[in-house]
Amino acid sequence: MGRTTTRRLLVARVARAVGLLALAFVILWFPAAAPNPYILSAAVMVLNYAVLATSWNFVGGFTGYISLGHGALAGLGGYATGLLITKAGFSSFVALATAALVVAALAVPLGFAALRARGASFVIVSIALVLILLLVFQGWASLTGGSRGLVVPRPFPDLLRPEHHEVFYFLFAALLGLVLLSWWLVDRSRFGLGLKAIREDEDKAESLGIPTFAYKLVVFVVSALFTALAGGLYALWFGDLDPVFQFSILSGSYVVLMSLLGGVRHLFGPLLGAVVVGVALEYFKVAYGDTPLHLVASGLLLGVVVMFMPDGVIPTVAGLARRFLHPPEASIREVSAAELEEARR
Amino acid sequence: MSSGLLLQSIVLGVLLGGLYALLAAGLTLYFGIMRVVMIAHSAFLILAAYLAWYLHVQAGIDPMLSLVLTVPLFFIAGVAMQRLLLARLRPETRTMMSVLVTFAIALLIEGLLSYLFTGTQRRINLAYGAASLELFGARIAVVKLIAFGLAAAALGALYLLLAKTRFGWALRATMQHAEAARLVGIETDKVAAYGFGIGLATAAVGGTALALDSTIYPSLHWHWIGPLMAIIVVGGLGSIPGAAVAAMLLGLAESMLQIPFGTTWAQTVFYIVLFATLAFRPQGFFGGRLAQRF
Repeated sequence: MGRTTTRRLLVARVARAVGLLALAFVILWFPAAAPNPYILSAAVMVLNYAVLATSWNFVGGFTGYISLGHGALAGLGGYATGLLITKAGFSSFVALATAALVVAALAVPLGFAALRARGASFVIVSIALVLILLLVFQGWASLTGGSRGLVVPRPFPDLLRPEHHEVFYFLFAALLGLVLLSWWLVDRSRFGLGLKAIREDEDKAESLGIPTFAYKLVVFVVSALFTALAGGLYALWFGDLDPVFQFSILSGSYVVLMSLLGGVRHLFGPLLGAVVVGVALEYFKVAYGDTPLHLVASGLLLGVVVMFMPDGVIPTVAGLARRFLHPPEASIREVSAAELEEARR
Repeated sequence: MSSGLLLQSIVLGVLLGGLYALLAAGLTLYFGIMRVVMIAHSAFLILAAYLAWYLHVQAGIDPMLSLVLTVPLFFIAGVAMQRLLLARLRPETRTMMSVLVTFAIALLIEGLLSYLFTGTQRRINLAYGAASLELFGARIAVVKLIAFGLAAAALGALYLLLAKTRFGWALRATMQHAEAARLVGIETDKVAAYGFGIGLATAAVGGTALALDSTIYPSLHWHWIGPLMAIIVVGGLGSIPGAAVAAMLLGLAESMLQIPFGTTWAQTVFYIVLFATLAFRPQGFFGGRLAQRF
């Protein structure tokens, strides 16, 4: 290895450390700088989206299986938390942890059915999950409150609203840190390599001795666990659950849009996408109210991302930067099946 | 439960199953041709129903006549969609990405419909809308029979097209093995595009049938896409007869379960059967080689 390469690696490592510190600083400093409680509550929403998108990316990014049903897993976490508090008398955060474990346990049979077949069936099951849960939670009004909604008691009843937002901002930020750390650890592990092999070619991965079904199931359950934690935390923060919003394909598709926009192969891709799309969504709500045009805007954005930059913003920009800054390198690196196909043409 | 009520729900179940079968056939075509899961199918269904309603309200045209406009229009839209969007996705990730592209189109259609026509529930008032027939103690609305007749005719035409014409053979060859089809001289790209157009034309027919006897609103398509997706998986992805049989059986089951459990819970039958199918027979009940791999 030449001296320039070593130096470049060092520079990259320092740059990464500085970037991480800057990111952590911005996240922790934001509540102090937020001009009013509304902005802070919007920031809590964005952090919630970031946790959901990063959790989704355990399945979507590593294995390439796209789930439109993660909104429902979050809703399930929220309802489980709320019901454990109101019906079983659990204290708020015990209920949150229990709810997440319950959802993770439910994800085992669910993943078992969804992952037996390849991609198309998985997507269809994820959509079916949303629709069936919507039916159940609307229909079973005696337990869930049905369309009237479920009121979740606040965990800190004596806090004022701005302070309440601030506490939950930090709770969501901590959860985001935990999810990002877990993703990073999986990404570096042998387990993560196996998952990525599934993404590139499931048959070849299997023939190399990777227990593909078990790997997919484990990562799906991990993803469901974090998604349910985010949903439960949202329930504690927002205090009111309505089946129509908790079990909507739209919320699941926002999470997919965020992850794809940022870049599913990158640790911070979903976070970046969540900031962009989350801020846009909140802005749209304020500027245009509740018009059906937000559907049109989301549809257009999703279509453009999928058609023109399915790898997301980070790889697109990084690719451009690399082309200008460095000549092509001839070292061993991670190559996707799609890139190989491109190169062969 | 009286025998008249039972008979009525059986007849209604068969009528509903016919519409499901037609729409599921369209979805199966897309999947067979290019492994595409078309979420927007039911959004196009609602769009066609809105077009029929709009033409009826504005120009007094009978919904059946609107087919003359919507069927060719949807055929062209289907060809355009296949050429301009779906064929341009990377082959390795096409199944997954097609879900997202067609989802985006469904959002666009729903958003535009609710922007143009608001979320108000609409219904076509026909002179013969209230008429009904009495069959062995079961009362069946005439419009439901017409809707079923429309669906059955379209499904029959689709069957004849696939089984008896050269184009149908080419289409089936493309579905079975695109590369081999190319080797024997079939222009698979063109065939695939036309096949997609035909699939979307079934949505136009289905939409007209739906507009005849149902109340429509922009977000209605979510109530259709779930059952349809369940049907094509249970039938075995890519098998049109499988989809038709599954549609009939599940439509019948939904209709029969409505009596003891009500409409909300009856709908869950689709998803319960879907989960059971995937857990015990992931390739579906009529699926061949194709279904096992996807």
